Amino acid sequence: MSSRARPLNVTTWYLVLLAVMLVTIVPFGWALLMSVRETSASPFPRNGPAQLVPYLGLIGWGEGLREAKQDGLYNGEGGWWRDYAASPTEVDESRERPAYMFPLTTENYYKVTQDIPIGRYFVNSLVVSIGTVLLTLLLCSLASYPLAKMRFAGRDVLFVVILSTLVFPEQLILIPLYVMAVNMLGFQDTFHGLILPFAASGLGIFLLRQVYYAIPDDILEAARMDGASEFGVWWRILLPLIRPGLATLAIITFVASWNNFLWPLLMLTNNQLFTLPVGLAFLRGFFSGNLRTIAAGIVIATVPVIVVFMIFQRQFIQGLAGAVKG
Amino acid sequence: MSVTRKVRRPASTAKRLSETQRRTLTAYLFLAPALAFLAVFFFTPLVRVIYYSFTDFDLYNASWIGTSNYSELFRDPLFWLSVRKSFIYLIATPILIVLSLTLAIVVNRKLPGVAFFRAMYFMPAVISAVAIGMIFELVFADQGLLNGILRQLGAIRRPIAFLQDPDLVLPTIMSVTVWRGVGYYMVMFLAGLQSIPQERYEAASIDGANILQRHWYITVPGVRPIIVLVGVLSSIAALRAFDEIFIMTDGTGGILNSGLTAMFYLYRQAFVFNNVGYASAIAVVFSLIIIVFTAVNLKLGGEQ
Repeated sequence: MSSRARPLNVTTWYLVLLAVMLVTIVPFGWALLMSVRETSASPFPRNGPAQLVPYLGLIGWGEGLREAKQDGLYNGEGGWWRDYAASPTEVDESRERPAYMFPLTTENYYKVTQDIPIGRYFVNSLVVSIGTVLLTLLLCSLASYPLAKMRFAGRDVLFVVILSTLVFPEQLILIPLYVMAVNMLGFQDTFHGLILPFAASGLGIFLLRQVYYAIPDDILEAARMDGASEFGVWWRILLPLIRPGLATLAIITFVASWNNFLWPLLMLTNNQLFTLPVGLAFLRGFFSGNLRTIAAGIVIATVPVIVVFMIFQRQFIQGLAGAVKG
Repeated sequence: MSVTRKVRRPASTAKRLSETQRRTLTAYLFLAPALAFLAVFFFTPLVRVIYYSFTDFDLYNASWIGTSNYSELFRDPLFWLSVRKSFIYLIATPILIVLSLTLAIVVNRKLPGVAFFRAMYFMPAVISAVAIGMIFELVFADQGLLNGILRQLGAIRRPIAFLQDPDLVLPTIMSVTVWRGVGYYMVMFLAGLQSIPQERYEAASIDGANILQRHWYITVPGVRPIIVLVGVLSSIAALRAFDEIFIMTDGTGGILNSGLTAMFYLYRQAFVFNNVGYASAIAVVFSLIIIVFTAVNLKLGGEQ
């Protein structure tokens, strides 16, 4: 009985899994679809089937590439072509093809690279995020070691003080932080201004303290007997041992910094220094009419993150699960 | 003999003292960098925000005006509207708990390829709220995916104005917050589920409990600490949601203030109108509300 019920059960289970996955990935797929379309007309026309399957059409690099080739204005490599400014209706009339298909175009991607230096924003985001991760790992791994493994006056008080930073909501300190950053610290339009305020994290110290706790004291005693300094013990023995904990903290910090929006929005006025989220918002404000350019910008900004995530997904998920258990 | 003893004893106490002192000094040296950062970027602002809230401050000149900001705040209908919107936003929390726990149960089953599905569900959590807000603008647009599907199914004749209709703005944005959070909290629940012994479920099935009963009587109590954790984390996140609202309302807070949460009102007063003192008062009052709310939450979660 139960053995006969099982295969059906498993199939249902996979159907549920697939259905939920559609909810997660369809919005991304939609952005991808919009980004390769040639017109903003709805892919769901009033009469006729939905235009969801593209065929290879305007592959090439540059605005109006195909038109230029048709008119003989494009002369191969290093050539030029006139600007493409046809209205959607004109485009539709000039083409003989089934109405429910649409050509795949790279035009929207070309427009993004023309309108904002998106590669530069990518590098900016990378610099800020890596800087934040390195500084956070250094500060937190230093600070949590004595809290876990040394006995000294004021330890418990200090730990409570550090934990108290988790209780206060972030928006409470946002305004004075901004005033200090602008009036005193000169953080506007600098990368260190995006890194330093987020470097010491109460959560990071708490997390690594738990990791240090799990290391047996004997190892430390043995190293101290051998005459190693406390710093030497920390650097040569403890850091390699807490590597999984550091990886978890690195992932959490990186994702938070990579996605940080409000603070960079407040700090950055020079559009060469924008991070990706600020650059995307800028692109959106710039072309609030052109959904396809926005879609192309979203794809450029998110695909690398998705690729990195799929490579390291095990570390991401186990890291977060470990942080909950710890 | 006695002389040497006298000499030796102070020496040894001095050495012992210096040993403790040395250890304390080492400990503080390890702690110093992080404490310095916290002092500058956390505790100084914490003190300052309270001071600012008693001043009239336009970012350059501050003048002490006592409690005027607070008395004005309590009479400000927009502030109370924004607090109400923030609490409406909290409806996202129970939805998130139910959905992410259900999903965790679904992906907790050992099946080939289930790790892939977990990863796909978690993925939105690593993507910036800005990009996600923009993706969902495309989904909710008049020519967007949702209106397209609904029209194709014949359910609507004219597109639904998800982001223009004042009644729909907040629920629409909340649905994005939920969509983005489900996978993240699912992973937290997964960690809790894996600590529940399998035998309990088997025993319950033998006793004739159906699948709902088994999860209600075994899973829910088993992951209660995680429910409290997810409840606290997701409600704090909901109360300070900003990025999605900023993007999906064009940075305006929505038509007729329909997306004006307290966090957004704070942003508007401080960084659009430059009423830094007044915005600080908003920050102080709203933070107190959050702290009390979280404490009550934790207390209830701990007692049950």
